[in-house]
Amino acid sequence: MDLVVAKGLSKRYGGIVALSEATFSAHAGEVHALLGENGAGKSTFIQILSGAVRHDAGTLKVDGADYRPTDPDDAQARGIAAVFQELSLIPDLTVEQNIWFRREPRTLLRTVDRAQLRRRTREMLDRYEFPPLRPDVELRRLTLAERQIVEIAKGLAKDPRVLILDEATSALPAREAEWLLGLTRRLASEGRLVIFISHRMAEVRAIADRLTIFRNGRTVAAHEAGGVSDAEIVTQMIGRNLDRLYPDRVATATERVALRVTNFSSGRLDGASFSLREGEVLGVGGLQGHGQRELFQALFGASPATGTVELWGKPVAITSPRAALTGPDGIALVPEDRRGQGLLLTKSVRENLTLAVIRRFTERGLLSSRKEAELVREMVDFLRIKAQTPDQLAGTLSGGNQQKVIFGKMLLTQARVLLLFDPTRGVDVGTKGEIFQLMRDLAAKGYAILFHSSDMPELVHVADRVMVLRNGRVAAILEGEKISEESILGAAMLEGEAA
Amino acid sequence: MTPLAASRPGSPEAPNTRDWHGWALDRAPFLVACLMLAVIATIYGSKQTGVFTLDELNLDTAAAMTLMLAATGQTIVLIRGGIDLSIGGMISLGTVIAATRFTDDPATVLFWSLAILALGLAIGALNGLLISVLKLQPFLVTLATWSILNGVAMIILPTDGGSVPGWWIGFGYLQFLGLSSPVWMLVALVVFWWWFRSTRLGITIQATGSNEKSAFLSGVSITRINVTTYALSGLFAAGAALYLTTQTGSGSPTIGKDYILPSVAAAVIGGVSLFGGRGHLAGTLVGAFILTLIGNLVFVLKISSYWQPVASGIILLLSVLASSIADKAARGRMR
Repeated sequence: MDLVVAKGLSKRYGGIVALSEATFSAHAGEVHALLGENGAGKSTFIQILSGAVRHDAGTLKVDGADYRPTDPDDAQARGIAAVFQELSLIPDLTVEQNIWFRREPRTLLRTVDRAQLRRRTREMLDRYEFPPLRPDVELRRLTLAERQIVEIAKGLAKDPRVLILDEATSALPAREAEWLLGLTRRLASEGRLVIFISHRMAEVRAIADRLTIFRNGRTVAAHEAGGVSDAEIVTQMIGRNLDRLYPDRVATATERVALRVTNFSSGRLDGASFSLREGEVLGVGGLQGHGQRELFQALFGASPATGTVELWGKPVAITSPRAALTGPDGIALVPEDRRGQGLLLTKSVRENLTLAVIRRFTERGLLSSRKEAELVREMVDFLRIKAQTPDQLAGTLSGGNQQKVIFGKMLLTQARVLLLFDPTRGVDVGTKGEIFQLMRDLAAKGYAILFHSSDMPELVHVADRVMVLRNGRVAAILEGEKISEESILGAAMLEGEAA
Repeated sequence: MTPLAASRPGSPEAPNTRDWHGWALDRAPFLVACLMLAVIATIYGSKQTGVFTLDELNLDTAAAMTLMLAATGQTIVLIRGGIDLSIGGMISLGTVIAATRFTDDPATVLFWSLAILALGLAIGALNGLLISVLKLQPFLVTLATWSILNGVAMIILPTDGGSVPGWWIGFGYLQFLGLSSPVWMLVALVVFWWWFRSTRLGITIQATGSNEKSAFLSGVSITRINVTTYALSGLFAAGAALYLTTQTGSGSPTIGKDYILPSVAAAVIGGVSLFGGRGHLAGTLVGAFILTLIGNLVFVLKISSYWQPVASGIILLLSVLASSIADKAARGRMR
């Protein structure tokens, strides 16, 4: 009999459908993999299962009984524990305090029984052959990998019947990841159900008994792990939906290198090297959290980095956004968080456009409004920004038009290397098309564009070349015919291939 | 290649004897506070005879106890990651109620004392509820309740006055084993903290201040924690008010404001983080002593009392600077 069964499970966040009539079933003693692209609904599903969010419709049964957890405690009481990717650990508590948080053994005085806490921790760490950890160290002193291991210990300490591992291996180095895979099999053989989410196909292949594939909030397929090929899985994850959303790709790249980056590291980004040419759109792909954000932030000088950067053939030190924007051929960023980082929502379109270049409109310290108005009008026309007047507040524009204002702001800086981080996120389809066309137009004018999108088809259809990042390194640079969703996902997920 | 390499503090290969350097860095703000207290006490002692005696300890503790009680509640709130400005209003209101309702009859005093404590608890719980349910900033909510409580205090007793029984005023002079009752209260506070910080509630408050999202994901009810935290703060503020009337012998609708920022300052000087999750009451108590002794020092040095806030401000800056430097050093060691 199945331990966990979901039917018609749905969840909306405002207007966005995160999960739409998803189905799922898994039984005790198996490792069940969940697969799907970013945003396919996997995370929502496990959040519902673990009591972090509540579903809007559908039924969920555990052991044949209705299950509708109100909070994580409730889920835990029914034997379901989740190891979140987004860590649930407390930085200022020690390792052992974290593992047993809110379930500490107590003395007669109702204080935590430290001796017993230590003994229980040791017992569990030994029993499951955990990588070495010191139980009395505060969590904030640990590395990300060590924290992930503590998170796993915390999940296991609840002795759950269902353990959910959400990309638990992604933060772990090879040896520890190997240990976790072994642990997963062992937990299944103890009669537990392990729901395993990973973007690494090899891992899924190594340990999963069955797998369920999500796409766009729906369950697409469920398979016995033995009965399906990698290619079938990838096809089912991507699906088929090609529109005429994309402009024709005309090769406009010249031989001149605009940006050469060598051995570039910052945070998760770990020694990336590549070059971007004048007139080229270079896509940056890969699974989320593999260094894309760090690359864009560091190239714009918003976070520190090591390695060398050559701009138009000259080595440069980009230590701040101001340094990035300086000079006629600098680097400009369209940031990820449009409303937080890119725009002043309570200022007008005009003020937003000219904020970064205010000095160009000043004469002897005074603002020359005539000059400013002229440029603003040109930019509004060029970008077809739909605002009633240039004095309309930016916050009152639609998402797409806000994004255009940010483009305009960037173009006015006279930077010629453009970093576009997910520029179409939350933008309506019509405006998306315009933005893609704009990108190609800018490339034709000699701009060099580095373009990240969380939506893979955009990379496939807009970029001249696509660079795939995996674990902070360049896993592949795909060109021409070789660019496809399959090849990008392949390079992003499969270890040791296509590199 | 492995992140679990030796020589990192988190690794099991690290020497098991705690390395004193990291130990000291972790406690730097507290150690700096102790150092400052020692320096101030030494200067004080060189200008005045009889500083290092039990009598002086009894006197200074008696003078510092109102601040210590208020700062204890504040410390709990700060560790939760909040702030409680309403204690000012609660202290004023408490003294005013006591000064207008207490009679010579001990039963009446007991009744109204309990009523004041219960009121503190209730007002605090209300603060916590408003903060969680309406999702408002603690600063703003408690600023508002401070103003309200202050107004109510003014309505009850527009100017300083009223009275409490003589035997109530004598409380601070009671002695046991040569130590006065405020010193025993200090001991009680230390014992309370030693107990409280290792209870589940204490750990949960600290955890919620350290990372609210993680605490929530671990099943903590944020509303319940807020209500409890601010209720405790209100309770301690009410206690501070009662104690204050044993010192002043009367009620004052404006006296509470003198404890709001000093209670935060005492905690911060003692190493409590304004961002929550870190700090101990021991530091706060040292901080309260420092702030009280500065007053004495200004007096014995025969300089204008207006220098007292100047000195307090400088000490606050030095403490914040010390903890910031230690924090950076500790982070540097981790890399």
